[in-house]
Amino acid sequence: MRITTAATAGLAGLLVLTACGSGGGDKGSAGPVSLRMTIWTGNADHLKLLDSIADEYLKTHKDVASIKFDTLPIENYTTTLTTQMAGGNAPDLAWILENSAPDFVGSGALAPLETLVKPEELAPSTTKLWQKDGKLYAYPFSTSPFGVFVNEDLLKQAGQEPPKAGWTWQEAVEKAAAVSARTGKAGLVVRDFDYKGWDNLATVWGGWGAEAWSEDGRSCGFAKPEMVEAMTFLHKAIFEDKALPAPGATADFFAGEAAMTITQISRASLLKDGAFDWDLVPLPAGPKGAYSVIGQAGIGVVKKSPNAAQAAGFLSFMTDPGNSARLAQYFPPPRTPLLTAEGLAKSNPLLKPEQLQQVVIDGIAKGRVKPSHSGQAELAQAVRAGLDQLWQPGADVAGTLAGVCTAVQPLLAK
Amino acid sequence: MALGLRAAARTAREGRTGWWTATRRDHLVGYLFVAPQVAGSLLFVFLPLALVLWYSLHEWNVLADTFGFVGADNYRHLLADPNVPKVLTATALFSAGLVVVNLSLALLLAVLLSQRLRGTVVFRTLFFSPVVVSLVAWTIVWGFLLQRDGGVNALLQAVGVEGPNWLRTGPTAMASVIAVQVVKNVGLNMVLFLAALQGVPKELYEAATLDGAGAWTRFARITLPMISPTVLLTSIITVAGSLQVFAQIAVLTQGGPGTSTTVLVYYLYQQAFQFHHFGYGATLSALLFVIVLALTVLQWRLRRRWVFLES
Amino acid sequence: MSRKTLLYGVLCVLCVPFVFPTWWMVTSSLKPVSEILAFPPSLLPARPMLDAYRQVFELQPFATQYWNSLYIAAVVTLGTLAVSAPAGYAFARLRFRGSNALFLMILVGLLIPSEVTIVPLFRIFHTAGLTDTHWPLILVPVLGAPSVLATFIMRQFFLTLPKELDEAAAVDGLGRAAAFWRIGLPLARPAVGAVSIFTFLHSWNLFLEPIVFLSTPERFTLPQALTQFVDAYGGPMWNVQLAAASLTALPVLVVFVLAQKQFVEGLAHTGLKG
Repeated sequence: MRITTAATAGLAGLLVLTACGSGGGDKGSAGPVSLRMTIWTGNADHLKLLDSIADEYLKTHKDVASIKFDTLPIENYTTTLTTQMAGGNAPDLAWILENSAPDFVGSGALAPLETLVKPEELAPSTTKLWQKDGKLYAYPFSTSPFGVFVNEDLLKQAGQEPPKAGWTWQEAVEKAAAVSARTGKAGLVVRDFDYKGWDNLATVWGGWGAEAWSEDGRSCGFAKPEMVEAMTFLHKAIFEDKALPAPGATADFFAGEAAMTITQISRASLLKDGAFDWDLVPLPAGPKGAYSVIGQAGIGVVKKSPNAAQAAGFLSFMTDPGNSARLAQYFPPPRTPLLTAEGLAKSNPLLKPEQLQQVVIDGIAKGRVKPSHSGQAELAQAVRAGLDQLWQPGADVAGTLAGVCTAVQPLLAK
Repeated sequence: MALGLRAAARTAREGRTGWWTATRRDHLVGYLFVAPQVAGSLLFVFLPLALVLWYSLHEWNVLADTFGFVGADNYRHLLADPNVPKVLTATALFSAGLVVVNLSLALLLAVLLSQRLRGTVVFRTLFFSPVVVSLVAWTIVWGFLLQRDGGVNALLQAVGVEGPNWLRTGPTAMASVIAVQVVKNVGLNMVLFLAALQGVPKELYEAATLDGAGAWTRFARITLPMISPTVLLTSIITVAGSLQVFAQIAVLTQGGPGTSTTVLVYYLYQQAFQFHHFGYGATLSALLFVIVLALTVLQWRLRRRWVFLES
Repeated sequence: MSRKTLLYGVLCVLCVPFVFPTWWMVTSSLKPVSEILAFPPSLLPARPMLDAYRQVFELQPFATQYWNSLYIAAVVTLGTLAVSAPAGYAFARLRFRGSNALFLMILVGLLIPSEVTIVPLFRIFHTAGLTDTHWPLILVPVLGAPSVLATFIMRQFFLTLPKELDEAAAVDGLGRAAAFWRIGLPLARPAVGAVSIFTFLHSWNLFLEPIVFLSTPERFTLPQALTQFVDAYGGPMWNVQLAAASLTALPVLVVFVLAQKQFVEGLAHTGLKG
């Protein structure tokens, strides 16, 4: 890191230096460089795997001196990352959540990835979000479909049959309501929703064919009839059927506190203690039939990094078919040759082949990514504030949703 | 440090004649003593503030890495932003609520603890203890306790009251955020009031009692004026704290429900750091700075009017 | 019911919100996650276990982070005293041109939230090559806005010392600086105590700044470390977080209980006169 001469500059000089929005930035140097990648996992196993991949790379690449993985807290991940960028301390590589993908891809913050190994293997549904003008700007290294984890013990206690693929939302709510009425535990939990993370509700309204906004991102979908129908169903399931825990109640499926939870399949590792019998089934079908939803994370090379070339080199190595297979034990890969039930079963010992086939492989093939849009954070905040009124007994569903659109439409039109 | 001071003292003693008068010497020592603080303020308060004002004249997109001069655009946006009136109302509500509840509770606790009772030290310690608990830990814990099925409602249920869903409805969310902040910090003000109460001469009360003054009259006519300097000190600290409330909002309500607990600091954090509008965030900072400046001047004026014992 | 019983009753009820959260934090750190989330909450863990405490040290370099927080807070406290004691003394007892204006000027810092200045500060420190070091966490509190409160308290205290002290010092041939060092400062022990507590706690609790400035886990401070205890998918590990939170709170609480007489009385003597 080159220390600039600011220390000797007077106040005025400092002012100009620091006022300049683009910042000086470090100059690329001839010697080996140090790479920094921001990630949000602090999990020791994940870090061990990443470090071992980095170590192998360092052995064969003398132009890179070290590779550091910086864990930023997930709560404020994007915020901290952009603060570092604003301060002129951008990382060389960044792990990016799907909800900020349009911002990062659209703004030109990332460099196009042109040296990936066998890019033709990537499933088209996984790269859609990360492309602009035919170029890929981030590698979708984790493509994790949503499924329903089921606590079979709790369902049995409530006298309910465990669900099977092809089940419907009607059945899901009936089973969940029965569990909450008979056992006092929660029925169905949409994980990470907690009446704030509304984008997770895409796993519900997808069954009604509803969407937060149109494909081109220009018009609001909350006031459309299919959305009103889906939300009316959900509202009734929460406040009348008591099938979902009410606002302010916490129930952790993985601690045995809920009969069913909708979440990404990668959470299966939380079940390794085996405290109860469980299953994983696809999302229930809605009036519009079956559907699936995926959540994603990508890794991109930050364009303003002086070491962008080396960073791209490492990213290509880290995501080549061999290393993708290793990463697959934690993060479902986007590469089609790896997306076979047998292949995934090896790295996901907790899941049975038919679970992997139904939820993961079919899910990735036809899944829709959770809603995202440029300016996502501001949109998300506006939608959350608008939806707050909905989460009370007796709320006016259609009226509230119309209000959400009034608040959101100007932001979509930007 | 010690050496520097001795040297300063020596020069001060040696040069006492001619141009080097006692007044000039005092001036010099004064400037030397405040120099680090003043320089620090210039470098770490006023330079950043100037930069913030400079940023506020720009459209700064961190992701796209663009920084362009837009003149007063951000300020026009400020006037047109439909959220700003709501945010200012929430800020005023929060600050006023916090100051009133905090100061009255602190005074109440101090009066209770200044009664001659055994075990007041134990109570004093208990009331003060949240002050030393880490703020982040404290808010995380309260986030749990204030859930619909949390500890607070369990306690209420034990006495037969059905508690509301604290953090999910507008008025109770604001009240909860205020309460969490008050419980965390009221111990500090309580201790300051306790000391002030001990400093009120007993003879004043005796004389007033002889004149037939009731308990309330004695409190309003003697206690309050006598401790008014402490009221000023605590209100300054509390107002300052109230404008800086951040972790509590971020952990407990994220500004909701709706925008009911979105105070100015939180809103500017959202705009700058979450929505990437650094230029507009800087504009909101400028607004906050103006409010702060007005409050500082106001409190400084009030001090002369209202405080009984100012030296 | 006697007045005394009534008073005790009122005090006990008022105590609940002050004591319960800490109690809940500590006892919950000994429970498994399912019991933490159960309703109604249990007062004591059914089967206390120290599992979470072991994980605290396994998942993060927690001892190092503890040391970081501790030494930074200590340095900040000493530095703040060195800056604020002379400044407070000068503002209270020395006459020099512009002292009121200067005082009003630094008072502005007292009311500036750190969110306002964090971006320019970050750029300043980045330009100086000091990000991902502890310097910003030391320099800004010692010289910037946070030390203003310390100067304010010091000033309020020095205002209460009688004028005669200065006259006596002058008779003894002491200059202003020597009068501060030999007379003012020794008398200011309560104010020094109060400022130390304020400053130490402020530094100990700093949250936004470490998150923004630091990126290496070995350099993290405690509040920042608290948010790092998450499972593989970003879900918080409640019992581990609460264990870590207890570990950060308990030692300070114990020190406080042992030394509370000095703490509280030190604090008390500063606000006496305005």
